[in-house]
Amino acid sequence: MTALKIAKDRTLDIKNMEILSKVHAKNLVKWAKDKPEALVLSADLTSSTEIDLFRDAYPDRFISFGVAEQNMMSFAGGLAREGFIPFVHTFAVFIYRRAYDQIAMCIAYPNLPVRMFGFLPGVTTPGGATHQAIEDTSIMRSLPNMTILECGDATDVESVLDAANAINGPVYIRMLRGEIPRLFDKSEPMILGKARILSRGNDITILSSGICTEEAMRAVEALKKHGVSITHLHISTLKPFNDTAVLEALSANKYGVITMENHSIIGGLGTVAAEEMAEAGIPNKLLRIGIKDTYLHGAGREYLMREYGFDAMALIREIEKIVDTSFDITEDDLRRVRFEPINSDAKAEAL
Amino acid sequence: METIMEVEEIGTKIDELRETARRIRVSIVKMLTNAGSGHTGGSLSAADILTALYFAKMRHDPKNPKWPERDRFILSKGHAAPLLYAVLAECGYFEKSELMTLRKLGSRLQGHPDSKALPCIEISTGSLGQGLSIANGIAIAGRLDSASFRVNVHLGDGEVQEGQVWEAAMSAAHYKLDNLCAILDRNRLQIDGKVEDVMSIEPIADKWRAFGWNVIETDGHDITKLLSAMNEAEKVKGRPTMIIAHTIKGKGVSIFEGKVEYHGIAPTKDELEIALKELEGQRNG
Repeated sequence: MTALKIAKDRTLDIKNMEILSKVHAKNLVKWAKDKPEALVLSADLTSSTEIDLFRDAYPDRFISFGVAEQNMMSFAGGLAREGFIPFVHTFAVFIYRRAYDQIAMCIAYPNLPVRMFGFLPGVTTPGGATHQAIEDTSIMRSLPNMTILECGDATDVESVLDAANAINGPVYIRMLRGEIPRLFDKSEPMILGKARILSRGNDITILSSGICTEEAMRAVEALKKHGVSITHLHISTLKPFNDTAVLEALSANKYGVITMENHSIIGGLGTVAAEEMAEAGIPNKLLRIGIKDTYLHGAGREYLMREYGFDAMALIREIEKIVDTSFDITEDDLRRVRFEPINSDAKAEAL
Repeated sequence: METIMEVEEIGTKIDELRETARRIRVSIVKMLTNAGSGHTGGSLSAADILTALYFAKMRHDPKNPKWPERDRFILSKGHAAPLLYAVLAECGYFEKSELMTLRKLGSRLQGHPDSKALPCIEISTGSLGQGLSIANGIAIAGRLDSASFRVNVHLGDGEVQEGQVWEAAMSAAHYKLDNLCAILDRNRLQIDGKVEDVMSIEPIADKWRAFGWNVIETDGHDITKLLSAMNEAEKVKGRPTMIIAHTIKGKGVSIFEGKVEYHGIAPTKDELEIALKELEGQRNG
C-alpha cells in the first residue's frame, strides 16, 4: 500500500466545499475554441445538456437533430468517418436504450471517435424510470471498442473532455450537470485509467464512482473518527479497468471490498470489481452497494439514495455490520456535515 | 477514374454498360452458389443501378480508394453485398478471383459489407435503416469541408419501413443536403412476401416529396434513364433527391425474377447452370 499516492487536497472540508453551476456549459466553449473538428450534436435537449453556450458561440459547429436519436447516432458515425469529432449530447437513456444498434454498428464496430455524453445517470433526475439511466454502464460496457468514463465532481466534468479526446475510438461518459461540488482539486484532472486515491487504510477498501463518491467521502470521514481504517478510491474509468493501484487495493484489506455506484449492481462498478477479483484470485469478500435490480420511483436524488440504500448512511450501516460494531453515527451527525443537495432546479424542463 | 458521363456519351456507351451489368450478374450468381448462402434477389435487382453509379456517374479511383474527393456510396441495404463486391471487383478494386471467397473464413468479403476489411467500402451496413443517416453525416461533413464530392446511398423498399429512415429523410431536407442522392430499389418484395402485404409503404413517392425531397421515378433497369435521373439529381439545389428505381427482384435470371423465396437464398448448382446459360444469352452481339 505504500506505493499508493494520496490525491492532493483530499481533505474533506464540507463546510467550505465549492459548488459550481453549469460547469460543462462554460468549460466546453473554452475547450472547443481551437478545435474546429469538434462538432456538438443535440437532440432537442440543448440547454438541458448544457450545450446552449456552445451553440451560441459556434453555431456552425452545432447540429440540431430534433427528437431523433437513432438518426443522430448514425449521422455521428458519418461525420466521424470524414474526420470530424462528434460530441453527442442527450440524456443517457436516449443514448443506450434508444439507439443501441446504431451505436453498435455505426460507431463501436468501426471504432470511430464519437464522444457520447449521457446526462442524468441513475438518480440524478426526478423524472422517474423513463429518465433514470440505471443500466447504461452494463449495456455500454459490453460493446467492444467502447471506453466508459464517469464524472464525480466539477473537476471531473472539466477534465473529462481531454480524457475522452485522448481515445481514438468511441467514448461513453456518465455526465453531471447543474450544480456540482468540487471534490477534487482543480489542478488534478481526471486521468484516463487512473483511480483517485482519496483515503488509505487497512480494514476495508471502498471503490466508488460518480455521485456516490461524495457520499462515500462523507461516510469515510465519519468512520475514521471511530478508528475504521479505509482505502477509498474514486473510479472514473469504468472501461478499460486495468489500474494496478486498484487491483492492489482490492487485495489489501482485512474485511473486504465495498463498491458503491449510482447504477444497477448488475453490470456496473460492482460487477467490474467482482470480475477483476475473481480473475486475479483475490479471495476477499465483496459487497456491492447500488441499485439492486429494480426500477426506481421518480423522486429527488437525496431521497432516492436513502430509499434505495446507496447513500453515506447506507455505507456506514454496511461497514458496521462488517466490523460488527455500532458506531452510533446518526443521521443527524451526517446531516450536520451534509451540504445543500445538488439538484437540477436550474434546468428549464425540470427533469 | 473520372466516370461522369453526359447524356450524349451515354448513348454511345450504353451497350458497354449493359454488358458490364451482365458480367456483374454472372459474378453474383457464381459467388452466391459458391458461398452456399446469401441474397440473390436484391443483388440482381439493383445491378443496373450500381453499374450506372460506378461505371458512369461517380468519381472514384480504384487505385486510391480513400481519394478524398471521391464520390461516396453507401449500400444501406447491406444484404446486397454480393452485388457491391461484384461491382468493386469489376472496377478493379480487387481481383475478381477474390469474389469466390464470399462468406469464407478469413475473407474480406463478409456476408454484409465490412469497411474494416475493405477500404473501398465506406461503412459497414447490414442492420437496415442506418445508411441514410450515415450518408447525412458524410454529406454535412462534405459541406463543412467545402468539398465537392457527392454522396449516394442505396436503400431497399422493405428497408424504408424502418423509422430511422424517416428521421434521416427529415434531417436531409432540413439541412438542404443537395449533395445527397438516395436511390430506392423498388422491387416490391421483402422476406415475408410482397411489401404491399407485409407493410405497405405507398404512396412512397408522395411520402418523400412530403418530407421535402426532390423525387424522380424511373425504370431501374434502364441505365440511360437511371443516368439521366442521377444527372438531374445533381442539378437540383436546396434539397436532396430520391430516385425511386422500379425494378424486378432477381432481374436477369427468369427463374429468380419476382420470386420472394430468392430474397435470401443462394442458387443451387443446378440453378446456377440455368442462370449462367440465360445470362450468356444476354451478351451483346
